[in-house]
Amino acid sequence: MFDKMTLQVLANHARAAAENMAHTLHRTAHSAFVKETQDFTVMLMDRAGDTFAVPTELGATWYPGLTYGRGIDLVEEPYRPGDVAFTNDPYSGHVATHAPDTHLWKPVFSDDEIVAWTGGHIHNTDMGGAVPASLSRSLTEIQQEGIRFPPMKLVREGVFDEQILRIMSTNVRKPALNIGDIKALVGALNTGERKVHAMIERFGRQGFVSGVAALKDQAEAQARAILAEIPDGDYRFADYADEDSDEANPCRLNLTLKIRGDEAVLDFTGSDPQLASSLNVPSGGDPRHTILLVGVYYILYTLNPRILLNSGLTRPFTCIAPEGTVLNPVEPAAVGMRSLTCARLRSVIFGAFVQAVPDRMPAAPAGNNCIVNVMTRDERSQKTVIAAVNPVVGGGGGMPHRDGTNGSGADAAYLKNTPIEITETEVPVEFVKYGLAQDSGGAGRWRGGLATEMAFRVFAPDSRITARNRDRSAFRPWGTGGGRAAGLADMVVNPDTPDARRMGSKDTAILQPGDVLMVRSAGGGGRGNPMQREPWRVARDVARGYVSEAAAQRDYGVALSDGEVDEAETARLRAAMPAPDEGFDYGPERMRYEARWTEAAYDRLTEILAGLPIHWRFFAKTEIFRRIEGAGPEAVDRAFEATCTRFPDLPRPVLPAEAAE
Amino acid sequence: MDGQIAEEDWKIGVDIGGTFMDFCALEARSGRMASLKVLTTPDDPGAELQTGLALLTEREGLSPEAVSRFVHGTTVGINTVIQRKGAKLALFTNAGFEDVIELARLRMPDMYSLFCHRPDPLVPRDMIFGLPVRMRADGRRTDAPGDVTEALAKARAAGADGVIVALLHSWRDPSQEAEIRAEIEAQAPDLFVFTSAEVWPVIREYERFSTAILNGYVHPCVSGYLSALEQRLEAQGVPARPMLTKSNGGLMTAGEGRRDCVSMLLSGTASGVIGANWLARQAGESRILTLDIGGTSADFALIIDGAVQFGSDELVGEFPLHIPSVSVSSIGIGGGSIASVDEHGVLRVGPESAGSVPGPACYGRGGTAATVTDAMAVCGWLGHSEMAYGQLDMQVELAREAVGALAARLERGLEETAQAIVDIAVSEMFVEVEKLSSRAGVDLRDFALMPFGGGGPMLGAFLARELGMPRVIAPRRPGVVSALGGLVADLKGDFIRTVFADLDADALPRLSAHFRALAEEGRAWLAAQGHDGAVDLRLSADMRYTGQSYEIEVALDPDWLTDLPAIETAFHEAHRQIYDFDDREGRIELVNLRLSALGAGPKPDLTEPARVAPESVRQVQVHIGGWRPVPLHERTGLAAGTAFDGPAIVAQEDTTFAIPAGASARVDDRLNIHLDFAE
Repeated sequence: MFDKMTLQVLANHARAAAENMAHTLHRTAHSAFVKETQDFTVMLMDRAGDTFAVPTELGATWYPGLTYGRGIDLVEEPYRPGDVAFTNDPYSGHVATHAPDTHLWKPVFSDDEIVAWTGGHIHNTDMGGAVPASLSRSLTEIQQEGIRFPPMKLVREGVFDEQILRIMSTNVRKPALNIGDIKALVGALNTGERKVHAMIERFGRQGFVSGVAALKDQAEAQARAILAEIPDGDYRFADYADEDSDEANPCRLNLTLKIRGDEAVLDFTGSDPQLASSLNVPSGGDPRHTILLVGVYYILYTLNPRILLNSGLTRPFTCIAPEGTVLNPVEPAAVGMRSLTCARLRSVIFGAFVQAVPDRMPAAPAGNNCIVNVMTRDERSQKTVIAAVNPVVGGGGGMPHRDGTNGSGADAAYLKNTPIEITETEVPVEFVKYGLAQDSGGAGRWRGGLATEMAFRVFAPDSRITARNRDRSAFRPWGTGGGRAAGLADMVVNPDTPDARRMGSKDTAILQPGDVLMVRSAGGGGRGNPMQREPWRVARDVARGYVSEAAAQRDYGVALSDGEVDEAETARLRAAMPAPDEGFDYGPERMRYEARWTEAAYDRLTEILAGLPIHWRFFAKTEIFRRIEGAGPEAVDRAFEATCTRFPDLPRPVLPAEAAE
Repeated sequence: MDGQIAEEDWKIGVDIGGTFMDFCALEARSGRMASLKVLTTPDDPGAELQTGLALLTEREGLSPEAVSRFVHGTTVGINTVIQRKGAKLALFTNAGFEDVIELARLRMPDMYSLFCHRPDPLVPRDMIFGLPVRMRADGRRTDAPGDVTEALAKARAAGADGVIVALLHSWRDPSQEAEIRAEIEAQAPDLFVFTSAEVWPVIREYERFSTAILNGYVHPCVSGYLSALEQRLEAQGVPARPMLTKSNGGLMTAGEGRRDCVSMLLSGTASGVIGANWLARQAGESRILTLDIGGTSADFALIIDGAVQFGSDELVGEFPLHIPSVSVSSIGIGGGSIASVDEHGVLRVGPESAGSVPGPACYGRGGTAATVTDAMAVCGWLGHSEMAYGQLDMQVELAREAVGALAARLERGLEETAQAIVDIAVSEMFVEVEKLSSRAGVDLRDFALMPFGGGGPMLGAFLARELGMPRVIAPRRPGVVSALGGLVADLKGDFIRTVFADLDADALPRLSAHFRALAEEGRAWLAAQGHDGAVDLRLSADMRYTGQSYEIEVALDPDWLTDLPAIETAFHEAHRQIYDFDDREGRIELVNLRLSALGAGPKPDLTEPARVAPESVRQVQVHIGGWRPVPLHERTGLAAGTAFDGPAIVAQEDTTFAIPAGASARVDDRLNIHLDFAE
């Protein structure tokens, strides 16, 4: 048993080892994905393959709770010192979650026995498949998303398996980047191994092993302490991604968060069936899969910033994601664009916790981490240029104690932009605007963070733009506690001109010389009653251009004259305003949508689809959406009957009552 | 008497910290060195200077008229930023890009927190005015220069003290900014104006704009302080023109500092590293980890093969500083950091600190929380002699009470708890140093640790042991290393030109032209600082492979400007050294040319006086697993050549050096104490 009093010493050594690995990888990697987007993770794992330490300064935030155990076990040969195994297959062991993510792990031996593992992932620029970068929402099968390697040894006793590298190089578009990044990650795993040996020397083998267990126990105890303070109850929340596929119906994620004492169940029943697009999230039904719990890490860390980030904190949580649904698809569902769905998954988890701990949670963040790429021709060099322009992310939600962060923040804080001067020098585009969008933050006692608005002009014909992960053009980030929903995202070609073209939820555009493309994110939701926002803050927001004078009057009941608060008029306006509903504000679009698609309607749809064979479900959903008229469960039944009539081969669903018999 | 004074030549370095102003004075003809500390007087900044000079006169026989060099490090700039008491600025920039300052580079620290946020910008959005002007990346203007009258009227109405003009692509052509500045100066001569290209003309708008803003923000405070300083020195009869220490580890004149304010923001930490490097070189060491521990924080820096390391994203309070600065990492753990027990019975240290007021419990100034210093006192490492030049009376009993409260909660022994506090504090520093060394790609086992500051020697040897570092060097005067650093520093001006071109034969003539312009600028700068000695110009280039976003700085020989393969090879090799790979086929971009102009400062050969006080050793009780007698040496009694084994304590008036078991100590002829840990 490790001495708990000095557990922090071991925790610091473990974190130092993880930070060391991250710096080694960041320093030596080749690709922009790893070096600039920092789409990578590294971790230390115990002998079962459960993560016990991650870095906090570099890399992505997704994997403190990852377990490699299933991947480790799928390698059939015994492990020897110097071996490194790897996989990128989302359907073998459920370690990787889309094909570009290549995970590696390495055993750490002490006295001929494995005492720990070092591991990590890099996002490879391209893994082959149907499209460059291997990612497109339109793909429908995993086989289109690139070459897959089930768990196998990549390095045997320090020697790379050249055959594997050759197969990979033959199948991908940028082999040098992949191999360079993979070798950098192997270097990081070696660093981690060396640091684990130093820890074993410092703390003794037994001390190390029991200490690692104590670190996980401590994280678990911290998580349980947080849950114990939250009132028991069932907290339901649903949210929507704009489009489920090229069919363009909304994709619903549904959660019932059940808090009981110091434990929690996250039941995702009622979420959409697995989709015929690449928006599926391959959790494999693991009740503690890290990809389902990312929103939980944010909440735990926000409620206790001293929490240890390791797999111990997942122990009090159990996720239920029924097989054949968007959060637990079966092979061969495509999964490449799961990060869009994951952003929505986080906002669903945030929404459930807002009900459980309303005093301590912010409103919804913008939740669309849109990455804009341009392919155009440089008339000076006569070359085709492909470049990332900038991420367009929106603000954080209003917090319990301050306004939402403008233009980024909350669960998007890891993204970095590229200076305009650099982009304009390298890429033939000219920026027209890069800044914050007025009136885009949800009104509230604490205003939501403003959206980012970026507009640029191209000069060559047929310039192609992709804006991956665009969302929130149809459903707003919600406000809480009387706060209002935020502004919607948008993409417009030639805004403010007679031939302006609104692109809706589309994530691609083709531009002609002189065309301007404007991409705007959503804002963050507001928190608390806007009528309680101090008038001076509203006046300041107006002076700063964050809020228009009209919105100050309409949303906040604050009248200004010459920039100063008109106290009397403000008092009159505010007295006349009805008190807002203390719950969520979703905005008019969702209210309209849910007038038809009520909770009962969705319950009925879920029941029908769950009773169908998996490969029929998305088809049936689409056909029901095509035919539905009216509202509520009866409308769903009628639309389903009409679908069955049109498609007599559609099997009749096995309903829960029948299944029970 | 008069004749004797005329023979003397005093050089004085002064550095100001949170609690003390440190003086390091060298009489150049005799090589005599004196140091002292004076309590700071926040109500009357500059008064401590008078006190210090008076004390030097009284104790060391200094004659102010014989001061030929006066070098000052000041925190007035950085404090202005941290306390947000700077100028009210207006920013004139391109319409459509008013939020560049707020968006910064988007990424935020603390990225697991839903409450993460950036600091509020130093210029609020309502003081930012978009002008309908625009320059394209190739330098073409797409609009005629706009009229500033309206923006200026609004800025004045809002009470602006000064204006920052910061426009896109001014790194390529500063004329657009200059025209607007001229117009402002014509219409509003009472406002000060800085343009982004004059402050630091580098590509990347956020970095350039924010540097200009920091400069303007501290300008009035710094300028006022420097005027007062010059007047005080003049009143004291000091003939030397005061010099200021800079973040780049060099010096400039106080006159220069009035406009180039941003260059001095991190001078305190920088000159500490310069001083440490100088001491290390004298002791024959070239690979050093410096450790400066104060009450609330610990600062670390690497000296690699005799070279101080530079960065361009050091933090000034919450803001990154983008001019070349000595690279120093900092963590909020110091002697005053408070220990606490969480609800699960796990002990933690920091980030809360008792600071210097009320300070650790054992200082007897009203502090009751258990701090790292209290833990060291409980274990017997501290509290046997006077502290802080007799200005502190250590009360170990109060430390025992404070630590005892935690021990009771933990149901553990008092000394055991104290030891755990020390171990945890050291492990917090361990994380920071590990990150630093992995970023730099060095193996600390090849380095020696040099602790200084009030708390460095207290914990330094424990940290070295945790890091597996085999050697520690404790300088004779750990309290005045920054002041010493200023004393031995060179004049140093940094100049930059963004080139942003593919590195090919076509680019070479442009590079040569840029180099000539930079060299001229550098020489003129040194002349303006009153330098008439040799001029040392160092050229370097920021380069990268096409497609990368980060450049690496590579030193260039000016002769290479006509030798393309030499530049390419230098870049490939530098890339391999830092990143472990290169790409000999890859296209190279040259982003910036940089030039440092150096004018050498005095390089005194310091021999500490051979005369030492009589050897003084006594036994005190220290808890190392159990209580045991440990020898306590007075530093003043340690003569060159003395050797002894740890555990031991070396006490001196401004710090205590704790030497753990397993270390052997020897004193070199400059009175540094070297520790070697047995393998």
